[in-house]
Amino acid sequence: MPDASKSLIPSFQRPPSRVAIRRNANYGQDLSSLLYETLLEFDPPVRGKTVLLKPNFVGPDPLGVMNTHPAVIAAARDGFLRLGASQVLIGDGPAMDRDTEAILESVNLREYVRTPSRVFVDLNVDDVKCVPLKTRASRLKELYLPKTVLGVDFLVSMPKLKTHHWAGVTLSLKNMFGVVPGSCYGWPKNVLHWAGIDRSILDINAAARPDFAIVDGIMGMEGNGPIQGTPKECGVLVLGDDPVAVDATCCRIMALRPHKVKYLAGAGTLLGHLNAAKIKQLGESIESVRTPFAVLKEFKALQEN
Amino acid sequence: MIPADSASDQSNATRELSLAESPFLHLLERAQNEDGGWGFQPGRSSRVEPTCWALLALLQLQARENVKERLSRGVQFLRASQLSDGSWPAAPAQETGCWVTSLACWALLAAKDSSGAAEKGLHWLCDDWPKDSSPWRRFIAHFFHKDIARHNDSYRGWGWTPRTASWVEPTAFALIAMSQCPPDMLPRSASRRRHLAKFLLYDRMCPGGGWNCGNPRTYGVAGESLIIPTVWALLALRNQQGRSEVEASLAWLEKNLLNIRSGASLALARICLETFGRSVPIHEQDVRTSFDKNEFLENVPVTAWASLACNARPHWLAVEVPETA
Repeated sequence: MPDASKSLIPSFQRPPSRVAIRRNANYGQDLSSLLYETLLEFDPPVRGKTVLLKPNFVGPDPLGVMNTHPAVIAAARDGFLRLGASQVLIGDGPAMDRDTEAILESVNLREYVRTPSRVFVDLNVDDVKCVPLKTRASRLKELYLPKTVLGVDFLVSMPKLKTHHWAGVTLSLKNMFGVVPGSCYGWPKNVLHWAGIDRSILDINAAARPDFAIVDGIMGMEGNGPIQGTPKECGVLVLGDDPVAVDATCCRIMALRPHKVKYLAGAGTLLGHLNAAKIKQLGESIESVRTPFAVLKEFKALQEN
Repeated sequence: MIPADSASDQSNATRELSLAESPFLHLLERAQNEDGGWGFQPGRSSRVEPTCWALLALLQLQARENVKERLSRGVQFLRASQLSDGSWPAAPAQETGCWVTSLACWALLAAKDSSGAAEKGLHWLCDDWPKDSSPWRRFIAHFFHKDIARHNDSYRGWGWTPRTASWVEPTAFALIAMSQCPPDMLPRSASRRRHLAKFLLYDRMCPGGGWNCGNPRTYGVAGESLIIPTVWALLALRNQQGRSEVEASLAWLEKNLLNIRSGASLALARICLETFGRSVPIHEQDVRTSFDKNEFLENVPVTAWASLACNARPHWLAVEVPETA
């Protein structure tokens, strides 16, 4: 259960993390079986529990390159239900556009998830609770967070594999910006930018504590992401029980150095494992799916030589 | 501009009658809490923003049974939620006010509340300068961020939260709130604030017309306009018809009606085009059909906008107080 009052576990006290890479060429393949079988390997503690899937819904996206693809969300939902979860909700609070219904329509969620209005929670307008920030990585002392996020038993971050023009990359940790409610902080959630994006990412993840990550890297985005970048086929799904380790693995797949991503370097000391030696790799090897992503010139230092 | 109150009495009566079967009003009634406020969805805690939208929608339906009593309770909730500095918070127990102060002032002015709460709120708004246009920030932006976004940082509007940056929607809401109050209620600084804010909106318009949250160009790439911020910016600039930015944005809105995929955008686009006296290809039935699809996810602000869109609005944005008054 994500619990803001739980003290942070320094990475050196964590057991090794596990990250699985699955090759998948397109969204038309049988993602349900693939994700279910992979989730079985992790055996997440979800039987009889409520799971919240937190995709990355940024804006209207008819080409399907900006938002987490609904086929991946539906497959993950199916997988957790098959593992015995009593309820699997989908929730996000889009950051740039308050018209959540328009975004859901543009990604065609209703084609993949029956009665999305019953399972989708607009985190921008959910009831909120004040959470004191114990990490104090940024200058924020507290954040108002959605009660749905704080109340579920198992929280899954489901980002798209993208570069980001302020943070370098946007993966499962940066995706948690979407749990911060627009109704309190606006569209965009500008107070986080003023508090420092990299540091805010640490505070939010320490408070919300995602338990698992599933990254949609079948079609990613490079360059001037997360909205105006260039589509980039990568053909992978990356799953793991440590969002920091998942993001580090994604960086390595993108031929980027995770230690050079500011917020990931911080997360490696606070939240999870960044070092490859502490990450047990399942499925495909990083090398076999490595797909170098272009970055803006401001982030050239992130690229592997 | 054709004012919304120019519709004939007969037309008003027809529209009000058709609303009798409206699901919008039913949802708004169902969503009002014991404390008089509204949450974002039925059963949710009362918040300032949905309360303001529900009040603005119900104000057009005062002739209906029980509506006056609901309005009175809603106004009481707003008055009780005001912070001591005159602002309103976005969530209960928050000790800092923010952008919803504009909505609260607008709703209280529309409800003709005489408690002085709106006046106090407007003074807070005029004292709330965003930090992004301070000389130091402008220096930093000029030398270090010039490739990221090319704004004219001498213009200043309002932010979502105090002491951050100006954005399109909070700026539009503040302008609308100020346009609704008697001139003697505003502090002396209001005229300058409104002038700077209108120019900020022009400056932040996306190439080709329309607005997004306030990033018309990032790293040299043009931003894409969105319906909702475009509508609020246009309504804030509704007495500037003929100005090229307003005309371009109206044209963008008309061109993009076919791409609308939500009840919120449908309703707001209809309100905006009606306010500007343009032909409105979005019919009341379109908004209702959209509601039937998913009940707008039971979102109270969207339902209130739909109610406003499908109802005559004789008292809504009907009066524009001159800027220089």
